[in-house]
Amino acid sequence: MEIREDLRPIRQRSMVLLLAVFLVFGALHLRIAQLQLLEGSHWRRMAENNRLRRLPLAAVRGRIYDRRGHVLADNLPTWNLLLFPDEARNLGETVLFVASLGVSEASDLHRRVNQRGIDRLAPMVVGENLDWEQVTRIRAHQSDHPELSVVAGFRREYPLGPATAHAVGHLRLVSQEDIDLDPQLDPNSRVGAIGIEALAEDFLSGRPGERWVVVSAVGRQLGVVRESSSSSGKDLAVTLDAELQQIAAEALGERSGAVAAIDPRNGAVRVLYSAPSFDPGLFSGKLSPEDWKRLAEDPRHPLQDRCLQGTYPPGSTIKPFLALAALAEGVVSPDWTVQCTGGVVLYGHRFRCWRRWGHGMVDLSRSLEASCDVYYYQLGQRLGIDRMALWLEIFGLGRRTGIGLPSEAAGLVGNPEWSRRVRGTPWYPGEAVSVSIGQGPVLTTAIQLARAFAVLANGGRLVTPHVVVDPDNPSPVDLALNTNDLAKINRGLELVVHGEHGTARSLARLPVAGKTGTAQVVRLTEGIDSDDLAPHLQHHAWFVGWAPIDDPRLVIALVVEHGGGGGSIAAPTAAAIFSAALDEARESQASQGPGE
Amino acid sequence: MEHRIDAWLILAVVGILGASLVTQNAVTEVVGTQLLARQLLWACGGMLTLLALSRVRLDLYARLAPLVYIGGLAALVAVLFFGEIRSGTRGWFAVGPLTLQPSEFARVATILMVAAWLGRRSGGGLSAKEAAVVVALVGATAGLVALEPDLGVTLTYLPVAVTALWLGGLPRWAWIGLILLAMIIGFGAWHTVLKDFQKERVLTVLDPERDPYGHGYQVRQSKIAVGSGGVAGQGVGHGSQSLLRYLPAQHTDFAFAVWAEATGFVGATGLLLGYALMLYRIGMAAAVAENRHGLVLAILVGSWLAFQVVINLGMVLGLLPTTGITLPLFSYGGSSLLSTCAALGVVQSVWRHRLVNQ
Repeated sequence: MEIREDLRPIRQRSMVLLLAVFLVFGALHLRIAQLQLLEGSHWRRMAENNRLRRLPLAAVRGRIYDRRGHVLADNLPTWNLLLFPDEARNLGETVLFVASLGVSEASDLHRRVNQRGIDRLAPMVVGENLDWEQVTRIRAHQSDHPELSVVAGFRREYPLGPATAHAVGHLRLVSQEDIDLDPQLDPNSRVGAIGIEALAEDFLSGRPGERWVVVSAVGRQLGVVRESSSSSGKDLAVTLDAELQQIAAEALGERSGAVAAIDPRNGAVRVLYSAPSFDPGLFSGKLSPEDWKRLAEDPRHPLQDRCLQGTYPPGSTIKPFLALAALAEGVVSPDWTVQCTGGVVLYGHRFRCWRRWGHGMVDLSRSLEASCDVYYYQLGQRLGIDRMALWLEIFGLGRRTGIGLPSEAAGLVGNPEWSRRVRGTPWYPGEAVSVSIGQGPVLTTAIQLARAFAVLANGGRLVTPHVVVDPDNPSPVDLALNTNDLAKINRGLELVVHGEHGTARSLARLPVAGKTGTAQVVRLTEGIDSDDLAPHLQHHAWFVGWAPIDDPRLVIALVVEHGGGGGSIAAPTAAAIFSAALDEARESQASQGPGE
Repeated sequence: MEHRIDAWLILAVVGILGASLVTQNAVTEVVGTQLLARQLLWACGGMLTLLALSRVRLDLYARLAPLVYIGGLAALVAVLFFGEIRSGTRGWFAVGPLTLQPSEFARVATILMVAAWLGRRSGGGLSAKEAAVVVALVGATAGLVALEPDLGVTLTYLPVAVTALWLGGLPRWAWIGLILLAMIIGFGAWHTVLKDFQKERVLTVLDPERDPYGHGYQVRQSKIAVGSGGVAGQGVGHGSQSLLRYLPAQHTDFAFAVWAEATGFVGATGLLLGYALMLYRIGMAAAVAENRHGLVLAILVGSWLAFQVVINLGMVLGLLPTTGITLPLFSYGGSSLLSTCAALGVVQSVWRHRLVNQ
């Protein structure tokens, strides 16, 4: 049996609690009445005078320096105009006002205002790089247009302008895809579009911050609610040489072409210059439709980076590599000779040497010095297309170098298997004859040839070109070439410049070894990008070589589109860059002299 | 014999949930996720839980209490190791697309345990030893929650302990001692444990214009939102700009401000009456309970919910410092909603079994 317990004391205590709760509830209700009934109009006025704004704090992008500390990309302070669209009393009138300042076009502004996203606290950048007169006009009308705000910002500046446009790159506005990937991105911000700016985006960009402020009805800042400060991007030193870039730009002048130069010892890229070029600063602000149209529709394609994306037949610059391959495969001996009579008949077709009347007896070094085609027709016959293709790829031709910059082209080394698979036509034996002098289905970029010649210059190591020194860069690969063979080839390449019959004798005053090349402008076959079809069908002119001969520090690969002969155009153009580089080499040797 | 569920309490709960859903829907665009659909699911789950638990026999709650309590402790320990971290607090389990917050459920387990323990003894005031047991039972779970660290939820364990001691009965000198102890601890904490932002929150209550755009920003925005609601409100979804954009945590801690701005004094009063009705019906369940266990159970649940309502509204109305305590049944959050409904279901079991012993 259960004794009924006395619940009275505990019930009493419960009632005390209930009473206390209702007393507190009553107090809360009085407070609600105070706020809403007595002070309602006061708080409503506060609400109107209480606008929250999110101000983006731009992260200062890291500067880019060349190897000697010259600035390649810098930031200039500038004034930008922000619009907070939802604070505008009459957006149409605001748009007209902004347009009247000349900072933006009314139709363009209308479109952007209508397309703005749901993040309505964020402002839109409606004007960049304002001049002082525009700033003062906005300030004068500030009370009529509290939704407009002039803020300090930065504008990317490229001191060398067109001389480094492709290599250093430029910026672009973030795209919708970028924002989808990283919702934190400010839609008004810019990221690297091409070149080093794109390659090192994460390193350079830093992290933007934001500041939330309360402003009054007339746009006056009342206070900072919270702030996350931005952190600057890091400065980046690259391997490029600003002076050589400029000299390369001057040397090419008005011609189209490319200069790629690397240090053969480690693959550090010294020059990447593509002509014609453009002003990369155009992309730092709002690119006007006219400017864009001018760049995009220029028949000379200034936006194309001819160093990395321009693929050309290598012409005779391919010969040292085929000679090395033939020696390595043992299909010819070092003292093998050919009688050149100005042509040879193969597969029922006469293939001509560039020298109509022939070269007479030609040995290995003469074949390079005088660039005899017949010697290489024969040599190519002995090697066969498969071995030629294999060896060209060993030297890095027809494949990407791994330089890391965006949109590098692979080029092409054709072979029968490729012909079936990609082209869908059988391989013609005659094509192999063309390949043996660097014509036909073989396409390389300037950076590939610079890399391949670096193998000759550095004693047989394949380096990976790079613009940023990084411990993670791939180390050079030793191709295990026979040093005697290599010495013979290099002797021939020295004679190209310094020999009696050399094709690049215009360089003879400089300690340079190398090879000229003249690439016929052929009709490109299917399966190959053909936007390069020339309006006139002059040859492309190559010179690829290194200096100094016995202690190589710089390999230059230079191509002049439709420049005619390699010896007559390319070699003299390269001379200017070589002589500047050698001057500098002497300088740096002097500065590293006794002191160390 | 069994009795039917308390229709008044159900009316209050459904009314509060309805107002909550209206509010969640209104702020969906601002917060940026589909709050309504999720909260609707949780609300349905909550109502089902409430109805299911109301059908459990009251004495089972006493018998199963140790088991449930140990389960709660285990979950709190597990979450410290395997839980997900949200803004610095390791307090959530991910279960498929949902997340569960064990600290919310462990509070219900603690209430069951304390009520079972107090219900077993009879008559007289608590001895010092018994009081220590009550404090230890609440302190164990609350301490684990404090380790996460989730200070807002930890604080909601406080009314459970205090109410248990109050109902158990302590001599007057003990209460005076406890109050003095609390003051000393508070004074000590102010100078040692409390961080600057926490002190600022307290000082803001005393002097609202102290730092209106910094530490005082949230409370100021909340008062602007409530105040600009006026008599009849600005209409749901038509809240002023300040509400739609500038009020922080508007689907959770400051949800009441959204409601008050949209519906004005009329709506705010209505919601407050809803909570008053709910607490009154819990009090009634306690009043008619025929044994000590049921009475203590109902009062513990009621005092916990009353505490959260008062602390939250005090914060929203600028009377109390910002603590991160949510408004039960109203703020967005599945675990809180589910555990509140579970507790109300237990109270309904008390109500339904009120005449069992006669």
